[in-house]
Amino acid sequence: MQLTSEQVAVFLLSIGIMLFMAKLLGELFTMMKQPAIIGEIIAGIILGPTVLGNISPETFTFLFPSDTILKIAIDGITTLAVVLLLLVSGLEVDLSIVMKYRRIAVSTSVIGIIVPFVMGFGISYLSPEFMGLTDPDRRVIFSLFIGTAIAISSLPVIAKILIDLKIFKTQIGFIIISAAMLNDVIGWLIFSLILGMMESGAHGFTFTETLILTIAFLLTALLFIRRLTNKAVPWIQEKLSFPGGILNFILILGFLGAAFTEYIGIHAILGAFILGIAIGDSVHLKEETREIIQQFITNIFAPLFFVSIGLRVNFIANFDFAIVIVLLIIALAGKVTGCGLGARLGGLKKNDALAVGFGMSSSGAMGIIIGLLALQYGLIEDNVFVGLVVMALFTSMTGAPLMNLFLKRTPTLQNLLKPELIFFTDVKSKEEIINFLSSSASKNLKINSEEIFRKVLERENSISTGIANYLAIPHARVNSNKPFIAAAINKEGIDFNSTDNLPARIIFLLLTPEGENELQLKLLSDIVKKFRDKEKVEQLLSLKDESKILKALEEM
Amino acid sequence: MASLFNKLGLAITFSPTGKALLKETKRLSELFDAQLVLIHVGKKTAETESQLNKIISEAGILKETEIIWTSGDPANAILKSSKKAGVDLLIAGALEKEKLIKYYIGSVARKIMREASSSSLILKEPSLEPAPFKKFYVSTDFTPESERTIKIAYNFALLENAEEFVVISDYNTPGLASTILDSVSMEEIQKTKDLWQTEEEENLKMFVRELNLKGLEIKTVSLYGKEGWEASNYARQHKADIFVVTAPQKRLKFIDRLFHHELEYSFERLPSNLLIIR
Repeated sequence: MQLTSEQVAVFLLSIGIMLFMAKLLGELFTMMKQPAIIGEIIAGIILGPTVLGNISPETFTFLFPSDTILKIAIDGITTLAVVLLLLVSGLEVDLSIVMKYRRIAVSTSVIGIIVPFVMGFGISYLSPEFMGLTDPDRRVIFSLFIGTAIAISSLPVIAKILIDLKIFKTQIGFIIISAAMLNDVIGWLIFSLILGMMESGAHGFTFTETLILTIAFLLTALLFIRRLTNKAVPWIQEKLSFPGGILNFILILGFLGAAFTEYIGIHAILGAFILGIAIGDSVHLKEETREIIQQFITNIFAPLFFVSIGLRVNFIANFDFAIVIVLLIIALAGKVTGCGLGARLGGLKKNDALAVGFGMSSSGAMGIIIGLLALQYGLIEDNVFVGLVVMALFTSMTGAPLMNLFLKRTPTLQNLLKPELIFFTDVKSKEEIINFLSSSASKNLKINSEEIFRKVLERENSISTGIANYLAIPHARVNSNKPFIAAAINKEGIDFNSTDNLPARIIFLLLTPEGENELQLKLLSDIVKKFRDKEKVEQLLSLKDESKILKALEEM
Repeated sequence: MASLFNKLGLAITFSPTGKALLKETKRLSELFDAQLVLIHVGKKTAETESQLNKIISEAGILKETEIIWTSGDPANAILKSSKKAGVDLLIAGALEKEKLIKYYIGSVARKIMREASSSSLILKEPSLEPAPFKKFYVSTDFTPESERTIKIAYNFALLENAEEFVVISDYNTPGLASTILDSVSMEEIQKTKDLWQTEEEENLKMFVRELNLKGLEIKTVSLYGKEGWEASNYARQHKADIFVVTAPQKRLKFIDRLFHHELEYSFERLPSNLLIIR
């Protein structure tokens, strides 16, 4: 069988149209501050049976013929895309951070998988007809699948949410990232084992054999291949052309892993994913390489894959409101309670745990991939597939706003300094100004004023806190549970031994809880950063009104 | 200033570097004005005793120095005796150059790095003519424990009249590149990373400033990349004399070795002499 010239033309045309629509709608959604993948899926829905197939069935069957060799070609590309998507997901899994936060990462991800999994499994097992099971013999497998599809999270969406909320590089951000990474690992393992169970015998291996081979594969990849690649990567990056050499190396290894796992009956994606982890762990792998490979897959294969989702089914005809609602409810409720509970047990405070729960609730691309595979294996019907896709997209959109509700922000200068904490003074000495600000802190923090005064002065005497540009920041760590900042603008300057010999005319008192070193550092540098420009500081000092000062500070 | 370390312990062998180690340790014990305990794993016979005494006196160490003879698994025996003797700095050689017994001895050094209940100092290439450490590279993660580490290292550096004192923080943001899949452009990622880099640098400067250390200029370096590896690699590339790290709060387990705890990068491949503060 060979493609005719006409078929090749149609094939290239349809790929071009798919990419075009995906980019168009993807960018549109990015502009609306929503995940691009939603736009890409909608592009597929427009090109697919839902819209185009309805308006102009001839055009649709011309572009995407369902019964010819062309369909196989497009399916081949989708499979390639899935494998590549999982390969790059694996590359981004960082075992060291998972290990660093292992206690909380394990409890968050494990309980965060168990709860939604049990809910998904339970509802599918108890009411299989409602969930659209057609083959009663597959009731258990079917229910296991739904459970996994609901339990999996999507690292890219979650990482993006963390960047948008500006909490990526914070304790809670790292906790969520490490839990999400572990969630992916566990999720794909469960998924592969289910496939192994389902396909047992089909590939010439019994389930036990598949299981043993899987474990052997995991150990080899994560222990040996990981170390070998770490040795190989620097050589490849230096000796071969960059980035060509290293990109090829990653792809070759990924495909080999994928081929192996497919051969033993647990689907290619697991192999690609695990090899991705093994390669990504190399300390020598340049961040640039990661970004280039992400670009390559994101701009070619990911859009083709996501568009192809919409091409498969009619999203309107198969939109089953009840199923969508049930899936959404168990996904959100299961993830939030599961991950939240896990984070709480892992040692987080209630609000933080809830923030983690909501942060982990996006199932994004991973949920869709599982749904698609289930559809391909004939496990689920179109309506459940549509339900899973809608669920994945919906949770990707709600993750950020819901998380924001519960997120306790790290205190910043802006949200600590209030107009009533800005004073105009005319005292003459260091001691007086510190004493004055200490008493205002004392009222606020309910700590003895003298104790504050003593600690700040002690700190002051060891090394002066005069900075430059009329700024001084006397500070201390105190026994309180929240930080405190007050500012005094002194008519006459007070000598704080500043490096530029200028007297301090604006004095911040900064008190932070004992043991919260990083918070103190952050707030100190928050303030210092604003006082770089002497002219602006002079302007600030000429202001006579607390709220104007606050505003000026914000703009500095 | 109170002594940095009061009792130094040295795991001593008859190997060629044994004498060099003795000389190094002698220098340090004088520098810190500390007592010295020598620990030898092996049978005490007339022959071994005279052999040991010979290298001890050759190294110029006082005869009265306490010597502990112990037996059993070398690493465990050394750890146990040093704990019992109240050693607060355990010194051992990495013996990287002795190819034949490298693995065996190397494993003793590694076990000391991982499990010593006191601070430990692993000397990569002990010399028969020990010289002061001139280039101190210290890794920090902003914790109160690492504050203490910097202070100890700093006082050590002052004693040595060191020329360079560098505090390094390394940080990583795994998963960042995956956001490209969610249409974050490379420019945006770069912008975010630049912002983090400035933040990290500011924090480190402020952190060091807060320690209020005087007498030797402190250089700060913030590195993006694998935590643990970057700092270690930086120290190696800049030919540090001594790389100082904080011992982990919890004992490192086997799993930390498999999946590289930050410190394991330094343990596996010593960047220079390694001082682990506990």
